[in-house]
Amino acid sequence: MKNNTLGRAFLFLVIAGAIGYGLGLGIDFAIRGGLKFTASVPSAFALLFGFTAFFFGLYGYRGITRGLVFQVVGTIIGAALVTGIRALLKREIISPFLFTEPAWVFGALVGVVSFFFGVGVMTDWVKWARGIDTPDHHEDEPGWQKYFGVSLDHKVIGIQYTVTALFLLAVGGTFALIFRTELAASGLDFLTLDLDVFNQNGPQLYNTLMSLHGMIMIVSILLGISGIMNYVVPLLVGAHDMAFPRMNAFAFWVAVPASVLLLLALLLGGFDTGWTGYPPLSSRAPLGVQMFFLGVFTAGWSSILGALNVIATVVRMRAKGMTAMRMPILVWASVATSIIALTATQLIGLSFQLVMFQRLFGMGFFDPSKGGNPVLFQHLFWFYSHPAVYVFVLPGLGVISELLPVFVRKPLFGYRWVAMSSLGIALVGFVVWAHHMFTSGMNEYLRVPFMYSTMLVAVPTGVKFFSWVATMWGGKIETPTPMLFVLGSIVVFLLGGVTGPPNAMVALDLHLHDTYWVVGHFHDTIFGGFVFPFFAAIYYWFPKATGRKMNEFWGKVHFWLMTPSFFALTLGMMFIGLRGMRRRIVDYDPTLGFDGAHLFLTVCAFLIAISILIFFINFFRSIKHGEPATGNAWNSRSPEWQVPSPMPAHNYEVPFEVVGEPYDYGLPGSKFVEFAAKKAGTH
Amino acid sequence: MSNKQQHPNLLSQGVFIFVYLAVLTALEFFVAVTFNSVAILVAVAVVKGALVLWYYMHVNKLSEGDESSHESYAYKSGTNRLGLWLFLVSDSFVFGGLMVMRLSLLGMTRPDLSQTLGFFVTAVLLISSFFMNRGEVELHNGNRQGFLRNTMITFVLGLFFLLGVIIVEWHAVPAIAEPILHLFGEPEGKPLLTASSGPAGAAFFMMTGMHAFHVLTGLILLVIVWINGKKGLYDEKQYPVEAAAVYWHFIDLVWIFFYPALYLIGTAV
Repeated sequence: MKNNTLGRAFLFLVIAGAIGYGLGLGIDFAIRGGLKFTASVPSAFALLFGFTAFFFGLYGYRGITRGLVFQVVGTIIGAALVTGIRALLKREIISPFLFTEPAWVFGALVGVVSFFFGVGVMTDWVKWARGIDTPDHHEDEPGWQKYFGVSLDHKVIGIQYTVTALFLLAVGGTFALIFRTELAASGLDFLTLDLDVFNQNGPQLYNTLMSLHGMIMIVSILLGISGIMNYVVPLLVGAHDMAFPRMNAFAFWVAVPASVLLLLALLLGGFDTGWTGYPPLSSRAPLGVQMFFLGVFTAGWSSILGALNVIATVVRMRAKGMTAMRMPILVWASVATSIIALTATQLIGLSFQLVMFQRLFGMGFFDPSKGGNPVLFQHLFWFYSHPAVYVFVLPGLGVISELLPVFVRKPLFGYRWVAMSSLGIALVGFVVWAHHMFTSGMNEYLRVPFMYSTMLVAVPTGVKFFSWVATMWGGKIETPTPMLFVLGSIVVFLLGGVTGPPNAMVALDLHLHDTYWVVGHFHDTIFGGFVFPFFAAIYYWFPKATGRKMNEFWGKVHFWLMTPSFFALTLGMMFIGLRGMRRRIVDYDPTLGFDGAHLFLTVCAFLIAISILIFFINFFRSIKHGEPATGNAWNSRSPEWQVPSPMPAHNYEVPFEVVGEPYDYGLPGSKFVEFAAKKAGTH
Repeated sequence: MSNKQQHPNLLSQGVFIFVYLAVLTALEFFVAVTFNSVAILVAVAVVKGALVLWYYMHVNKLSEGDESSHESYAYKSGTNRLGLWLFLVSDSFVFGGLMVMRLSLLGMTRPDLSQTLGFFVTAVLLISSFFMNRGEVELHNGNRQGFLRNTMITFVLGLFFLLGVIIVEWHAVPAIAEPILHLFGEPEGKPLLTASSGPAGAAFFMMTGMHAFHVLTGLILLVIVWINGKKGLYDEKQYPVEAAAVYWHFIDLVWIFFYPALYLIGTAV
């Protein structure tokens, strides 16, 4: 990417952002009859215009730019249509957010659909519907430009996913830093009551940022695991692509308008419900909650269709000889995670839809005054949202099992048990959801069964830990950056794991519920199960994608800065949680004596942010300036490392056959794969 | 591709299955209006669902397929078939969630609706499924005209169902809805069920709405396969027709469970 292209993109961003801001300011002036520089409408226009212009400067009017233009225009047309109908019916047509709520919701939906047509991800399907055949593959343009348009290559899509995930990670992390700074001392410090940004006062803005931190991170994680699975699974099973390349592209591009909607939720009044969106609060929250619901609903389709693709790919496209018990563990983990994502995701979509309709049409699903039941929402919501954490961590745990034998030069201990444990976690995960509801007023007889089913999860998870420890036992451990992150994830996930059973105990949970203890526990599981393995996977497969290694020194700095800060952060959270610090609140009583602890936590959070910043710089620098690594960079047996890096466009020129066990490192004469024409096998 | 031997077999099998389904649906209605046993209603719905799954949606095809070459049309169709079924599994979680919502909010009561009208629209959808199956078999037997004719009948019946639900049951066009509802024995001046009137209305509109959305998408698929089928695109490569048919039967399958849940089980409120 030329520097002047990037410079032009930023210039366009600033100019179009200013134009959008001015336009929005004018509209806002017309609505409220006064100038307000921090109102919703100017900010929303500035965001949409600036974003679109940035990609226009980078890439021209095609691909993502065209998609965003279509989304903006579609949103406005859809909203104008509803507004017109409302005008005919003599209903209210204007609100502080320009359009009324029904108009915004319908407009946002039209915008999302328009995006698909704009970006061009529907082109082939439309042709098929009209009876026109299309070639199986499209050739991608060379260089970085292919990442900004529709590509059908799973490796390109995997990288698109990963980079989008990293972008959202940065956004969600920034939100966390903002509200973490507010918490550094008791009292309302800068998010004060007289603040008025995006039609929200300070505490309300805190609520919005806290809620969006949760959901943007969740979407980031879902995209991150999709990135790993998309890039690696077809390579591991020896397929030339995913089973449904167009649906694969579609699943990625769904996430882009979804991210735009989530960002709009912040600007259009925000919401104060937390990421869980419980009614009755969410049925009364500002307009932002509708954008939040729609964004999550849309992002959910990315997850569902991606999962469908992974399962179909693994079932139908494995290389010759790759029987179920010779599949790499990461493939097993991807299937397990996909089973949950394919099915349970529908329930969060449904529960959010029901609240949307409750707000729009007065349908009383969760409104007791209309015969509804708020606890029903929690059941529907947690039926996905608990298994969702297994969606997040299973691929990460798969990455640990995949990488560990490479760096200890020993066979993976108990392959069959590890393979089955992923499925075990996934299946048990379907029957534990109500442990989030011990204090919700649900039927009391449900508590004990859910307590036991929850503790059952520790069994398959324990199997994984035994396997990892036994694999390392007596091995020749090397510690390049990916291995550091693997070791880090094992320790962090252990901490998350052992702090889980106390929450599962009904008697303890009644006290721990809604405290910082839970926040600490949760971040441990997600960092151990996703963030650390995700970084490990990026450091590990970076040479495969680019032909260069990421810088080892800065990788190690990243690790040694992030890990202790993270431990201090979550242990501190759990410590003050046990002593009574409530979660999700903008302020706390100074007499509790938590001021010092919170300041410490905030410092830790900033240290983590600095380490991630180091990672970002390393990541983008290494694409061009990293140490070349075109061969088997980690001395791995896995098939993708037996061919040169970066990976050729259609993967393996000659198909391989699986002739042995995947993880028999250090066993003389053993082979995992054999390529048909070339006789080069593995070591 | 086509196998003339199977012609009478598969077509008459479709007729037999339809007769079974019709008898079971009548039995269901009879049970509901006489002694209303939930156990029997559930059992009948399960049997009907199994018949549709096995004979109309031929779920058993998932396990067959040409394994010799990954590049053959048969193998690719097998992959597409798996993808479609995975999608249907995913989709059924939406409908399952709606069912949970209905049971949680309404329990052993049901919306106060005309049971005869419910029986009538159900019959329309069931008959459309019969013609869809017939169209698919005709194409398989190499009879393009038969396929087009039966798909057209399916489409018309499906559209009739959709309009029936929206115009009459939802009262979208009162001028048409009033006389029809009267015809089906609804007394004049009965309070209307609306989306915001209470849990029964909310559950009814949400469930029929989600189902109607699927009917609409199914109709679009039928139009697409009809137009392309007319051009002769599916004479050899028949998987798209199979996919549209399976999707259409899935819509019927959902209704097999929604119909008793909304019109038959328990007492009207």
